[in-house]
Amino acid sequence: MLETKDLSYWYTNKDDYLFKDLDLTFDAGISYAIVGESGTGKTTLISLLAGLDKPRAGKILFRGEDIQASGLSNFRRHHVSIVFQAYNLFTYMSALENLMTALSITHSSHNGDRQYAMQMLSKLGLTEEQMKQNVQRLSGGQQRRVAIARAMVCDAPLVVADEPTGNLDEANSDEVMALFNQLAHDQGKCVIIVTHDAAGAAKCDAVLRLKHRELTWQKQPPVPAMVD
Amino acid sequence: MNFVKRAWLNLWARKGRSALLILVTAAIMLFVLAGLLLRSAANTAVANAKSSVGATLTLSANREAAFKKMREQMEDQSQDSDSDSKTTPTRPSLTMTPVKLSDAEKIAKLSGIESYNVSVSTSANASGFDAIETSTGTSIMQGGGGFGGKGGFEDNSGDITISGVSSTAGATAFSDGTNTITKGRGLTSDDIGTINVVVETELAKQNDLAVGDTIKLKSLKTDDAAAKSYTVTIVGIYKAKSSSTAQMGPGASDPANTIFTSYSFANTLKGSDAKNTADSVIFTVSTPSKVDSVQKAAKKLINTSKFSIDSNDASYQMVKASMSSVTSFADKIVWLVAIAGTIILALIVILMIRERRFEIGVLLALGERRGKIIAQFFCELLVVLLVAIGLSSAGGQFVGDKLGEQVVASAQTSTTSNSQGGFTRGGGQAPSGEQGQGAPSGQMPGNMGGRTSSQAAMQKQAKLSTRITLKDVGLLTVFGLAIILIAITAGAAGILRLQPKKVLIGS
Repeated sequence: MLETKDLSYWYTNKDDYLFKDLDLTFDAGISYAIVGESGTGKTTLISLLAGLDKPRAGKILFRGEDIQASGLSNFRRHHVSIVFQAYNLFTYMSALENLMTALSITHSSHNGDRQYAMQMLSKLGLTEEQMKQNVQRLSGGQQRRVAIARAMVCDAPLVVADEPTGNLDEANSDEVMALFNQLAHDQGKCVIIVTHDAAGAAKCDAVLRLKHRELTWQKQPPVPAMVD
Repeated sequence: MNFVKRAWLNLWARKGRSALLILVTAAIMLFVLAGLLLRSAANTAVANAKSSVGATLTLSANREAAFKKMREQMEDQSQDSDSDSKTTPTRPSLTMTPVKLSDAEKIAKLSGIESYNVSVSTSANASGFDAIETSTGTSIMQGGGGFGGKGGFEDNSGDITISGVSSTAGATAFSDGTNTITKGRGLTSDDIGTINVVVETELAKQNDLAVGDTIKLKSLKTDDAAAKSYTVTIVGIYKAKSSSTAQMGPGASDPANTIFTSYSFANTLKGSDAKNTADSVIFTVSTPSKVDSVQKAAKKLINTSKFSIDSNDASYQMVKASMSSVTSFADKIVWLVAIAGTIILALIVILMIRERRFEIGVLLALGERRGKIIAQFFCELLVVLLVAIGLSSAGGQFVGDKLGEQVVASAQTSTTSNSQGGFTRGGGQAPSGEQGQGAPSGQMPGNMGGRTSSQAAMQKQAKLSTRITLKDVGLLTVFGLAIILIAITAGAAGILRLQPKKVLIGS
């Protein structure tokens, strides 16, 4: 689904690169974790995969097409759902309105379908009352669920999450990772998660480690099932 | 959920901030509206002045030509006396040809002439009653009527000033409010050919005269005719205002000694030569702005070497000059407030965008088009603007009225002081407009009432009628839209430059 071809990134000095000539493939229906020390470029890598930034060299292909060719904004709108570490919900809206906004912007097939959005929120444990409350009145855990629900309701086949379990206790962290795996396995989405949490990462189908400017498979992805 | 709904949700959720934004915008719109109202009211006042503040044309003897002729005669005599030393030169006199009423009637038929009033001035002696005597050389000057066309005093003047008119209502001294009928009635066109008169209150009191009484007037003795006595009937008594004071020359008659008669009787007192003539005829032009074209047409009907026809649209010009300064001030208010408002709103929008960069970042990360994000901000400000326009429309009338009073008072003080300066310097000239603005100064032959008339006209315009119309609100909306468009454009740079990664990732 998503491939990188000779992907390189540096800030100011080409020789002082974060990673160089990366060739990776991410398939649908599999959850991937990218782990590594702070400052190794995990977040930069995920921002490139999510179409939030442009590579310095090389290209990213989505279903064989360069994502820059069709426009990063268009790529984000139709093909990627992003879950941010800080949730980044619209604070002047309710949980339900946050989801409805995402459905509208991404031109989802469920655009305008309140029932679908409510079902998704309900699935993630929010009551009807909580769905209609301003998101600022929800707890941190509930807000995180709303952020994940926002990514789930969209039709995007690629879900990218930056430290989704950051600051969460183990139980909640497990719950969140389970949700992402559910997205990959039940909805057939390609889920890429950046995390510090080694235990959480281990729950993913594949784990990539970024260390000393090198990216290595710590846990090889399973062979994707052949589709007729 | 489209950007319009997001805009609404944002405004509703942040009520306090929205209310503040509405108040700031309403304050800006209030002053823009006040400026627009003032401007519109000043334009209306000028338009009204065209119909309500009359302009006049005055047909009178051509003094300039008469003086020129006199000078030529003097030069001829001087040459003759040089060649023939035995000839004793006689000083030539200034011969003013009286206006023929037939000429006046021709002009009156021109389109654009609304009405006309004939004015004949002469003097007579009181017979059987006493004229009011002024003990000092200084006396109260009458606002109009008394010395029309004379430009000075005759050596052989009687103790009563006779002012012959077509009707008292049409005479400047009555139309501008200097004189008012207190008892009986004024003279009308029906009195032409009669011996009905209107006398002043003080003269009537001194001689125990009342409406219906008769008095005797004696014409002045001339070389050709002896003095003749006429019994006239008092049909009305008028009160002359004594507010207008000025130095009058020695020998001047007290204003209370002015008796208004029909011009035909005034001509009778003058003598047989004066029959069907007038000192001057004042034509009221229906549309002051067309006074020049009417004057041009009238000139073709008269012998310009003997007569002159001068326009006097000073009242109109004075109102126009006054309102012009109001318009100019209003324009400045509108533009200054609009520019200041744009800057203020632009800064608010820039701050608003900075404050909401995370929200914008999320929208961009979701794939929202930057244009739609800008449109969301525009919609938010549009709602704010519409509410602000509603509020400012409610308060604009009040502010416009207050501002209008101040500005008009200031403009009138300025114009009146300028015009008074012009009056003093110009003598017989009408008040000039604002100095340095080239406003025309119409000639007012011997009629000092013009100044009072102008002031009366100014007083009519003293209160600007500031009324909010749909047009004003429409114009205000256009201004408001332009302001928020510029403000949004200025703030949009922040949205266009914003990189979602920088805002969202790792925050």
